[in-house]
Amino acid sequence: MAEHTERKDLASLASSIQAVASPFRRYLSDLHETYQSLNEGAVADYIPELTLARSEWFGICVTTMDGRVFEVGDCDQPFTIQSISKAFVYGLALEDHGREYVNTKVGVEPTGEAFNSIVLDEATNRPYNPMVNAGAIATTDLVEGNGNTERLKRMLDMFRRYTGRSHTVDMPVSLSEKATGFRNRAIAYLMLNFGMVSDRIDETLDLYFQQCSILVTARDLAMMAATLANQGINPVTGERALDAHYVQDVISVMMTCGMYDYSGEWAYRVGMPAKSGVGGGITALVPGKLGIGTFSPLLDAKGNSVRGIKVCEDLSRDFGLHIFNCAPAEHDLTAWLDGDRSVDEW
Amino acid sequence: MPRVVSVHSYRGGTGKSNFTANLATVVAKQGKRVGVVDTDIPSPGIHNLFCLEPEAIDKTLNSYLWGESSIEAAAYDVSANLNLPEPGRVFLVPSSFNADHIARILQHGYDVKLLNDGFRRLVKELQLDFLFIDTHPGLSRETFLTIAISHVLILILRPDKQDYQGTAVTIDVARQLKVRNMLIAINKALPSLNFDALREKVEDAYGVPVAGIFPLSEEILKLGSEGVFCVATPDSPITQEFNRVAQQLMID
Repeated sequence: MAEHTERKDLASLASSIQAVASPFRRYLSDLHETYQSLNEGAVADYIPELTLARSEWFGICVTTMDGRVFEVGDCDQPFTIQSISKAFVYGLALEDHGREYVNTKVGVEPTGEAFNSIVLDEATNRPYNPMVNAGAIATTDLVEGNGNTERLKRMLDMFRRYTGRSHTVDMPVSLSEKATGFRNRAIAYLMLNFGMVSDRIDETLDLYFQQCSILVTARDLAMMAATLANQGINPVTGERALDAHYVQDVISVMMTCGMYDYSGEWAYRVGMPAKSGVGGGITALVPGKLGIGTFSPLLDAKGNSVRGIKVCEDLSRDFGLHIFNCAPAEHDLTAWLDGDRSVDEW
Repeated sequence: MPRVVSVHSYRGGTGKSNFTANLATVVAKQGKRVGVVDTDIPSPGIHNLFCLEPEAIDKTLNSYLWGESSIEAAAYDVSANLNLPEPGRVFLVPSSFNADHIARILQHGYDVKLLNDGFRRLVKELQLDFLFIDTHPGLSRETFLTIAISHVLILILRPDKQDYQGTAVTIDVARQLKVRNMLIAINKALPSLNFDALREKVEDAYGVPVAGIFPLSEEILKLGSEGVFCVATPDSPITQEFNRVAQQLMID
């Protein structure tokens, strides 16, 4: 019988089973149980399609730099990516035009204003950052390609490189966003007035509404974060999703502006670059270590997933994952991931 | 600390369920709270040994895997059928032997993560000292999982070439899964064999300790799975051998 020297299939199945049996997944499982009963917040309702989300949906997924996936709960449930797309499309714009040019079109300054505010920097006329709607529309405008179809295909292909699987747009959500997106239309025309976006306004807005309606899962969000944490290379497929030069740009704006106007509090409490969306997703990362994806559609007043915030707070505290943490953590991450005998309790 | 013991064999017919039921019983006799889960979903049967009658079974492991009940609701206290002294207890989670239920699992499969979460919950809810997992023969995702979560993996084999070869494969997998402790139990050995020589040969071949050797027994056959041998025959040498295996599980 031919013996495969690498025994890749055995190693791969063993690794996925070990992830299921690991103490780290037991930890996630306990977190899931604790916060499943937390029923604060409300499902987004600015378009009817989003109200169909069920309040009990809850998934937690963590992916490491060696491609191990630890997941609990509804990690296969598709939902629309919404604002989380903004961070990743910003990376695509940087690749298309370079840092210097992109900086002239959109700033990197956090704003205390709401994500959908109609406000530009008075001195430069730029939107404040790529995570508020104005900045995101300006960023989408920068995505290269001949017409909507090619530009959308380039975006979908980018998400494929991050997650390792192909993606589609939820048409009803996208059309609803378009039908009710008067405010975003106003923002776009204001920016056109200042010459911050090109005059293909309708095409760019369509693209923006489609980009927000791309379907992802908690597992995808963990893999996307893990890819950023892994210098822009998907830890499972080995494919590069983002030029290494721009990884720090994307992560920086996630750190300062990723959680709407909760970003300062988040940086203080959790200390992970992250991005949330009103679909209920959060993607968060610890550079060089892991990516986190959470999904729970119950949102707080600022538009962030209530359960998702709790999960990230606990993970950060218990494993010392705050980017500036230098004190010993309660749990040693490596021991819990690897199933070290010191954490063998059942 | 609760301990998880998986009992597995590569080939069928090695006496896995019989072994599991007897070992679980002698451990419970020492005052332990013991859970037994029948994860042999395609061919369940261990409920017969514990004299759990079909009409007494409502919820099963299948119900839990389909989200129809909690796992503890599918656990039956069979201690009364085993003459167990307090505080010893045995709780059995049977698999369904309804053909339609088996077909449903085969058709749709299930997420092994649920199995893992269920084991943990069972241990917690019933405050178990030991959890025994009776597995389906051969290798599958479930056996990979039960091997990975076990504190002790017991491999049953008969003195037979097919069993020898299969056990080598299982041990290879178990080492890949970084199993914590492994023991071998030899079953259905012809009484005329030299047991000491057999033990030495098997230990040398696999580098795994042999926890016990059980002869092919007419008495067990006579019982025909209508009860646990160690309860019916407490003074038999076979019961003594089970006690010796149990002792090896008690050591931390």
